[in-house]
Amino acid sequence: MALNFKVGLVGLLDMLKFANLSKDREKVIAAAPAKEITADYPVNNFAKAMHPDFQPLVIDEIIDHAAAGAKTFIFKRADGKPASYFRAGQYISLKLPIGESFVTRPYSISSSPKWALDGKVAVTVKANPGGFAADWMLDSFKVGDEVKGSEGLGAFYYQKYRDADHVVALAGGSGITPFLSMAYAIRDGIEDFRLTILFGSRTEEAILFREEFDKIMSETDKVKVIHVLSDEKKKGFENGFITADLIRKYAGDEPYSVFICGPEAMYRFIGKEVEKLGLEKKFIRSEFLGATKTVWEQPGYPQEAKDKVFKLTVKQGPNEYVCDCLANEPILVAIERAGIKAPSKCRSGDCGWCRSRVTSGEVFIPEETDGRRWADKQCGEIHPCTSFALSDITITVPGEYY
Amino acid sequence: MAAKYDVVVVGAGNAGLSAAVKCAVEGKKTLLIDQHNLPGGCASSFRRGRFEFDPSVHEICDFGPEDNKGHVRLLMERNGVNVDWITVPECYRCISTYSDGTPMDVTMPCGREEFIAAMEKYVPGSRAPMEKFFDLLLEIRAAKVYMNDGTPNDPKYMQKHFPNTLRSCGYNSLRVLQALRMPQKAIDILGVYWPYLGIPLDEINFFHFGNMIDMYVIRQAVIPHHTSHEISMTFMNRFYELGGEAWFNCRAEKFLFDGDKICGVRTSLGDVECEQVLANINPDIIDAKMIPKELVPERDKKLSAARNKKFSTKFCMIYMALNRPVEEIGIKDYCIFFAETADSRKEFEYMKSIDNGYNILISYNTLIPDFSPEGTCVISFTKLFSESEDWAKLTPEEYYKVKDKMIAKCIDDVKKNLGIDITPYIEEVEVATPMTFARYLGTPDGTPYGFELNDWDGIIARMMDVQADFTIKGLRHIGAGSFMADGYSSTWINGDLCAMMACADLEEGGKK
Repeated sequence: MALNFKVGLVGLLDMLKFANLSKDREKVIAAAPAKEITADYPVNNFAKAMHPDFQPLVIDEIIDHAAAGAKTFIFKRADGKPASYFRAGQYISLKLPIGESFVTRPYSISSSPKWALDGKVAVTVKANPGGFAADWMLDSFKVGDEVKGSEGLGAFYYQKYRDADHVVALAGGSGITPFLSMAYAIRDGIEDFRLTILFGSRTEEAILFREEFDKIMSETDKVKVIHVLSDEKKKGFENGFITADLIRKYAGDEPYSVFICGPEAMYRFIGKEVEKLGLEKKFIRSEFLGATKTVWEQPGYPQEAKDKVFKLTVKQGPNEYVCDCLANEPILVAIERAGIKAPSKCRSGDCGWCRSRVTSGEVFIPEETDGRRWADKQCGEIHPCTSFALSDITITVPGEYY
Repeated sequence: MAAKYDVVVVGAGNAGLSAAVKCAVEGKKTLLIDQHNLPGGCASSFRRGRFEFDPSVHEICDFGPEDNKGHVRLLMERNGVNVDWITVPECYRCISTYSDGTPMDVTMPCGREEFIAAMEKYVPGSRAPMEKFFDLLLEIRAAKVYMNDGTPNDPKYMQKHFPNTLRSCGYNSLRVLQALRMPQKAIDILGVYWPYLGIPLDEINFFHFGNMIDMYVIRQAVIPHHTSHEISMTFMNRFYELGGEAWFNCRAEKFLFDGDKICGVRTSLGDVECEQVLANINPDIIDAKMIPKELVPERDKKLSAARNKKFSTKFCMIYMALNRPVEEIGIKDYCIFFAETADSRKEFEYMKSIDNGYNILISYNTLIPDFSPEGTCVISFTKLFSESEDWAKLTPEEYYKVKDKMIAKCIDDVKKNLGIDITPYIEEVEVATPMTFARYLGTPDGTPYGFELNDWDGIIARMMDVQADFTIKGLRHIGAGSFMADGYSSTWINGDLCAMMACADLEEGGKK
């Protein structure tokens, strides 16, 4: 078919129009004023306020929960701005300069998102054996101290199109904190769902936030807390551990989601109980486990590597560092010990912020905390927070914004 | 002592990746930096639970089959970047309303004959103008090859060999389609892809529009098997293999000058020296924040003022993992457009509002059964916005509510248009707003695109002007803000071309 047509009134001018595209453009540019160029965009400013490189925080108040061996640190933004808004249940990653090291620790936020608007955010830290960062914070933090923290992070929050209208929360010890934030959010009208918390404590005296929850329950009937005491038998309390039967007892007949947060031992026990409920995967959500403290017990771990000390070479931008790396600890810990400001947030293999490239050497990555992308698994990219050295290693880590 | 490189590529998005690989292929000592902790920009992935999501890709055009290789395929082959591609067998399904108000539900296949036959079925009498249209596209393709071959364009040669290209390509697409006597309903169907160009048919240059239809319909689209992160990592692996160096979580703060020529980059990980910079950053941001005020060229100020911060489309993406196989859910097509109207000008106006009804559904498992764990599937929705004002007005408290509203709209769209209720099956759901894109890309208003392709600022005009637009010695803009504008394919090609220019400058400098 012959192709011959014209678009404009006079076909010949079309050619000219095409040839003049550049001239016409130059004319428009020449006619514009030579104004100073600015690049200030409201959408970007919003994003920066929600997700800053870090939030400068200052300790405003410390609440001692002596019987539970824990303290709540209430931070205020040091620059007077609102704190980054977050979803109840999310965690904050604190950047802690301990000795020569720059370490991070993730803590679930225990305050209401509403507080963030006034520049406040709270976390609760519990002493734990061998927990050197927790002990450092409990011993040394005082009102007025400054510390850097991330924005609220993670996907451990209520999402109405994903979760059931009724959430049965299973908490142990300081694992209660995200649920306290959720309870506040419900009371404050920020979230709207029914929250039943089965809260495991050793004794009545050791219960965290009892008064706070009692108060919330007097203000809203959407939140209900059932205390489960493992070391005491008392009237008005459930006794023993959180079991499948106990969950069924309080869940009722309507569909429900199970949210789990607690220490590793509780998590492993409860995980088996929850399995008995036969819920679909989408109705079971748990906060991060953290890196395993006994990697040699993981399936597939080559036992000959256990207890060894390897040489770790770390490249970051133009710099190179060499340090020791204990086989029993995540590679991230060795990097932090060496005084390198490396990125990390969740420390559970999930968020990928510490994503780094291994250029030589062998690593072991426990399956249960391998949150890497498909292509990263093929390409030697690892998350050092849950990767363990099996030989001398050379690794390239990203920078971190301090 | 500052580290020294031939080329520093700033921004490891699509253009930065292809530019970095090209420089390394040419044997240049190349440093690639990015402010985020992984490469790709939009071409990335993220994990939620047991799922991995692609943040942005719908279909990648200009790849082409073995016997009709597109620019992207040629580029990848030439630079040794071998991705596991999956071919998209059908162009699109579109559920909308024709310009005359009657309902539209069309499914358009790939391939010239198949496409024309389907069009004839939906719009009887469209065959003749459709044949003409595709003939014209063939000529435009040849013209594009001629114009891109790096030699000066001879107007006489072009008049002789590409007369219809010259006749049509000074005009907007609507006008050319009407001149071809295309029935309005056929224009409505042909125009479905217009949002990928960010501007309605009555404004988008026909060269650009025609070229896009050619690439999608004739050459067919492809998608990566394992999300766009697979593509980006394939580029990265090739780059490392060639001796390239990359620093992530590394922000370029300032460009360093020796007189009026760039001689280095101040980064958050230290200063680096270099001969050439390829900057995958919006030109406005460079001029406003990264170079000394007195060195901002007069022409940049005028060009920026003429563009007047008219940035192209802003996106909201809604990602869902469903805990049933896609067959059981009942979604059959890979790509479905839900538009309020096929009238692109009207829809463009609607898109100013955060509440507009436009949506694109992508269903990955229809093409890639193992895209997600067995018994599950992943889908995504893309909502478009021509303005960002509604988003910018939100308070933090409203922000999460708006995210929920977007999810609700997607659920409703599937219910209304396909008669399927996906609500009970949502195992994971995530929403990326213009703010999310701003967070990860740092682009103005979070647009993954560049400046609007206005009538005066179309791609051909920009290409003709390319030397004039690179105003700063030693610096070239690459990516969506550069002359080939947005999209995976365009930015890969743009990065590659600009790398070639930078390498040529280096060769020349070496001789002196």
